[in-house]
Amino acid sequence: MTQSINLVARVIGVVAILSIAMAGLSAKPKPKAAKPVAVATLAGNAVRGKALYQSCTGCHSIDENEVGPKHRGVVGRHSAIIPGYAYSPALKQSGIVWTPAMIDRWLTNPQKLVPGAKMFFSVSNPQSRADIIAYLAEQK
Amino acid sequence: MSEHGGDRVDRRGFLECMGWAGTGALYTLSGGIAASVSLETALAAPLKAAKVKPFSFVQISDTHIGFKKPANPDPLGTLRETIAKIKALPVQPDFVLHTGDITHLATPEQFDIAQSALSEIKVPIYFVPGEHDILDGTNPQPFLDRFGKGSKGEGWYSFDANGVHFIGLINVVHLGDMGQGTLGADQIKWLRDDVAHLSASTPIVVMSHFPLWSLRPDWGWGTVDGAVALAALKRFGSVTVLNGHIHQVQQKIEGHIIFHSARSTAYPQPAPGVGAGPGPLLVPPEQLRSMIGLRSVQVRQNAGPLALIDTTLAG
Repeated sequence: MTQSINLVARVIGVVAILSIAMAGLSAKPKPKAAKPVAVATLAGNAVRGKALYQSCTGCHSIDENEVGPKHRGVVGRHSAIIPGYAYSPALKQSGIVWTPAMIDRWLTNPQKLVPGAKMFFSVSNPQSRADIIAYLAEQK
Repeated sequence: MSEHGGDRVDRRGFLECMGWAGTGALYTLSGGIAASVSLETALAAPLKAAKVKPFSFVQISDTHIGFKKPANPDPLGTLRETIAKIKALPVQPDFVLHTGDITHLATPEQFDIAQSALSEIKVPIYFVPGEHDILDGTNPQPFLDRFGKGSKGEGWYSFDANGVHFIGLINVVHLGDMGQGTLGADQIKWLRDDVAHLSASTPIVVMSHFPLWSLRPDWGWGTVDGAVALAALKRFGSVTVLNGHIHQVQQKIEGHIIFHSARSTAYPQPAPGVGAGPGPLLVPPEQLRSMIGLRSVQVRQNAGPLALIDTTLAG
């Protein structure tokens, strides 16, 4: 699963590079083309991620909505769709899909990604974020 | 203070951390329970002009009723053990302060269970909410309906006991930068008015859930406008500020103001900056009770600072 996360990240990176290249080749590039997004490139270790996830358990669990929504199946899921959880209006309107790269941005600074979201908790260490994402990816 | 070597450690951050680490170390090196008393005796202003009668009170915090994960599958049980400790104190406290996170999810069921258990404490209990007591993170009303009757604004209040002025501040309803607490202009104005009539010799005890000092801002362990509020208390000779949220004993001294973070009755959290972030610290079950507990505070007659004694459930 660690490898697949890495693969996903690399695929996204390649797609981003290709997009930039194609935009550069295009005779009429769209004026509002999305900016290339920095993607997670670190390989996550799910075993370390499980230990680090302990810090998340003040508000989250895998199978129950608590202060935050449950996490099973979060990787690849559209945001704000878990029944029975009261999401912030900001997250409901965000349109985010929780790709590994997006979770990495969320964990880096959730209020920067979605101002007005409920979550403030952040993880400053990139490797720790990658490890937590690798663990979450296994919770299908 | 670093996590896998990746955290920012600049000079400012180092000095900020040394602020609490230094005082905490002195607290420890002075010899456990007695250290708290001796350190304060050395540094706090005497209460010489205040008309203070000796009495005691207890602080409990972060009972987290409804939490059920491995860090403590039974916080109701450890709350009951805490209450037994209070009842076994050689001198019964006049009252108890609860510095928030009474429940884990602020549901009616959890509030019911907490109220029922806390009713075994046969002295008055004064509460401030934690962020876990605010329904959906925005609505303090269910908490206020049960624990904040007679309070002002979003729950702030004050009262006097035997010559000491107690102030309950609310810093969990509106979160600020990095998840730190916020008091807000209305509450700070009320605070200034509340203490305006008091003489500078009146001992002040402030309680809040989030620390009012910058203990670890990037973990949300602070209050963005805490310094503004504390400026209103600068003229007082003795100010003791008690908070929860941190789930461990931490201490800092700034002039006549002494800050104390309390243990939880439910589960510990990591030392500031250790690990991915704040959250329940998983320890072997046999170690849990040495990391949770209560605090008793003795107010002595017209002289000397408050004497704090932190006791674990294992002690």
